[in-house]
Amino acid sequence: MHRTVILLLTTVLLSACAAAPTQPAPSSEPLAMTFMAGYKPQANLPFVGVYVAQQQGFFREENLTVTIEHSAGQGQHLQLLAAGKVQVTTQDAAVLLKRRADPGLPLVSIALIGQRGQQAYAALAGSGMNTPKDWQGRTIGYKGTPPPDLFAILQAAGVDENEVELVNVGFDPRLLTEGKVDVYPIYKSNEPYLIRSWGYDLTLWEAADFGVANLGLAYVTSEETLANQPELLARFLRAALRGIEYARAHPDEAVQTVLKYTGPETDADHMRFMLESELEDAVSPVTEQNGLGWQTLEQWQSLSEMLQQYDALPRLDAAQAFTTSVLQAAQEK
Amino acid sequence: MRVEVSALNHTYPGKPPRPALAGLDFSIPSGQFVALIGPSGCGKSTLLRLAANLLRPTGGSIRIDGRTPAEINAARQVAWMAQSPALLPWLTARGNVALAQRFINGQNGGLPIEDALQRVGLGDIQAAYPFTLSGGMQQRLALARLLIQPAGLWLMDEPFAALDEITRERLALELLDLWQPLHPTVLWVTHHIHEALRLADRVLVLSAAPGRLVADLLLELPRPRDESDPRFQAALSQLRTCLAQAQGEAQR
Amino acid sequence: MKAPARRSALVAWGIVAVFLISWEAGVRLMNIPVYLLPSPSHILATLADNPSMYAQASLLTLGEALIGLLLGVLAGAAIAVLLTLLPGIEDGVMTLAILMKSTPLVAIAPLLTLWLGFGVLPKIIITALLTFFPVLVNVLSGLQRVDQPFLDLFHSWRASRWEVFRYLRLPGSLPYLFAALKISAPLALIGAVVAEWTGASGGLGRTMWLAYTNLNLPYLFAAIFILAAAGMILYRLLAWAEGRAVFWQSISREL
Repeated sequence: MHRTVILLLTTVLLSACAAAPTQPAPSSEPLAMTFMAGYKPQANLPFVGVYVAQQQGFFREENLTVTIEHSAGQGQHLQLLAAGKVQVTTQDAAVLLKRRADPGLPLVSIALIGQRGQQAYAALAGSGMNTPKDWQGRTIGYKGTPPPDLFAILQAAGVDENEVELVNVGFDPRLLTEGKVDVYPIYKSNEPYLIRSWGYDLTLWEAADFGVANLGLAYVTSEETLANQPELLARFLRAALRGIEYARAHPDEAVQTVLKYTGPETDADHMRFMLESELEDAVSPVTEQNGLGWQTLEQWQSLSEMLQQYDALPRLDAAQAFTTSVLQAAQEK
Repeated sequence: MRVEVSALNHTYPGKPPRPALAGLDFSIPSGQFVALIGPSGCGKSTLLRLAANLLRPTGGSIRIDGRTPAEINAARQVAWMAQSPALLPWLTARGNVALAQRFINGQNGGLPIEDALQRVGLGDIQAAYPFTLSGGMQQRLALARLLIQPAGLWLMDEPFAALDEITRERLALELLDLWQPLHPTVLWVTHHIHEALRLADRVLVLSAAPGRLVADLLLELPRPRDESDPRFQAALSQLRTCLAQAQGEAQR
Repeated sequence: MKAPARRSALVAWGIVAVFLISWEAGVRLMNIPVYLLPSPSHILATLADNPSMYAQASLLTLGEALIGLLLGVLAGAAIAVLLTLLPGIEDGVMTLAILMKSTPLVAIAPLLTLWLGFGVLPKIIITALLTFFPVLVNVLSGLQRVDQPFLDLFHSWRASRWEVFRYLRLPGSLPYLFAALKISAPLALIGAVVAEWTGASGGLGRTMWLAYTNLNLPYLFAAIFILAAAGMILYRLLAWAEGRAVFWQSISREL
């Protein structure tokens, strides 16, 4: 009788000791933050990750309250991030490097979702242009300022930049279909859908095809938030990456979630197209080895060098522009 | 109220400075109705504005009952009426008259609002707005407003100038009816010789700028003035000559 | 409605109808693709299909516009009154006002978002900034511009500066205020919309921007139709109010 009791007690004690460490530590205090998408609501992959995480309760499971905002695309998201009003935003990798250089915004990429950029150039299929060599003597549009990958492509194809006419265009693919420009700058995941829906076929050229470094969208935070709130960022990233994986597995559901943030003016098939395109470009040898969103010094450095060469960017320390610490923290658990 | 003008000069500043009055000397006893006549630009309005304390003379003096225009203005004892009736369009007829009372409240002597409106024949349309009234009625209203004020001196700058002939004649008679019981001193500027003769006890003729006194005519004729009276005609032709002369000088 | 007013209203509607019909005919006959220029019927159908979305967006934008307008009018009028009572500071204050007016919205809007957050407040402030200047200039003009005969009259009453202001300048500035309102009201609508373009979570401006970036022109034009209608209604309301408030200025509309 006494032996059984002792055995029982010992078992209980041992299991209690064993149980304690295997039980996951409770997610400590509730945290709150604001995420600002770098553009309007649409199916860009980093946005989708956040929308889905919100919808599926991934943030809640991290004991994290996330307020989702959207930028109007004129750079306020970076200002607000630098001012501490927003903790995470999204940005194109090249623009991140440029803004670090000038005017010196303290931006850090915590995850590189777009392993390849979406920027490309399109011409109407019937235009007779097959390679960039055919751009000679033609009108080429650019948004904002002539981008470095444009010059990189020209150089790779051996076309003198003085032999093409560069025109500042806004977002208006109708310029291409109405013949106002011969080559139009696009995002692979966006304009081609629209243009094809109008009944036109396209020829596309990507910088990557010409050996030009090109990276896509990243989740971005400020140096200050990174230093002071790493736990917050880790929880956020963990949930957002789960959101992206969920979207990959359930694309239709993900599109419905996106439509909650857009309005009835947005086409579901368009969003589906955008999601699928960006999912493709989220995968690379780097992510296959290290997981979704991973980024290496080599990737950032080659982008930085390309920018220095074609954009006259001052020398940057690419290592400061990104970190894998949050990715690592997110992967723990 | 007596008005005493002594060596009165006024020059408007500017490049070049514009002399308006030169060396005026005259005296007006209390209760006299004086008409001021002269060619355009002879300074008639300037004289009135000096009396109203709207201008300060650059030389000489003007005294009303021995006091300066500023003192008289402060006591609100001078009533002003101009060619433009200056009726506030957002107030009714009665409202416009009542406004005057607001500024001279407490002082005795002026007519009550109702009386003033009745006297000028606007008692029935007190609630009308100025823009619905004819030119003649508007000036009548301005007169009613003036009657509110217990003033010993009325300064009137061509008040009937914008009205047609018939209305002018009629209003002239009405004005005399209003003036006689109260009998303030009146300085009345006009271009119209007939009007001056119809209304005034005395006519002062000014020369072209700078205005000097060139004629001082006392009219001892009974009112209402009879135009067929030979004395009327004599005064008329005398004034005509004076004016023509003053006009001729102006043209030179 | 009196006969001439009714006739002019019919003429107005007639013109609008002709315009819309020609537009519809043009699109159909020339087979213009919807992404270049949608037909009015398509636009109206879009409106009919999304009543609650457009209603909500309109209410929000209109709210921003009207509150901003109110603020702008109060600010402009208050400054004008101040400058009339203290003429010494007119030059300085006007310089500041012109500086504020000249700063482009695109520069101010993000700053306001930074300071005031993502809600409606920045939009209201931007609208107020846009609308205060016409009111300031016009009301100041109205307050200062008094005819000499009136000033002479008030002088004969020995009226104080304050009395001249209260009984003469202030009521006399009403027509000028309304003239300014007729300029500022449409500006307020534009201001609210443009402010929303620089970052909003709702409203017609946001709808227009989203629609454009999707090149969904029917949705874009539907919002534009609403704005046009709102502008027209606002203007008519103001004209009516002006007729009542500034009753002494007969605006003869003899046809």
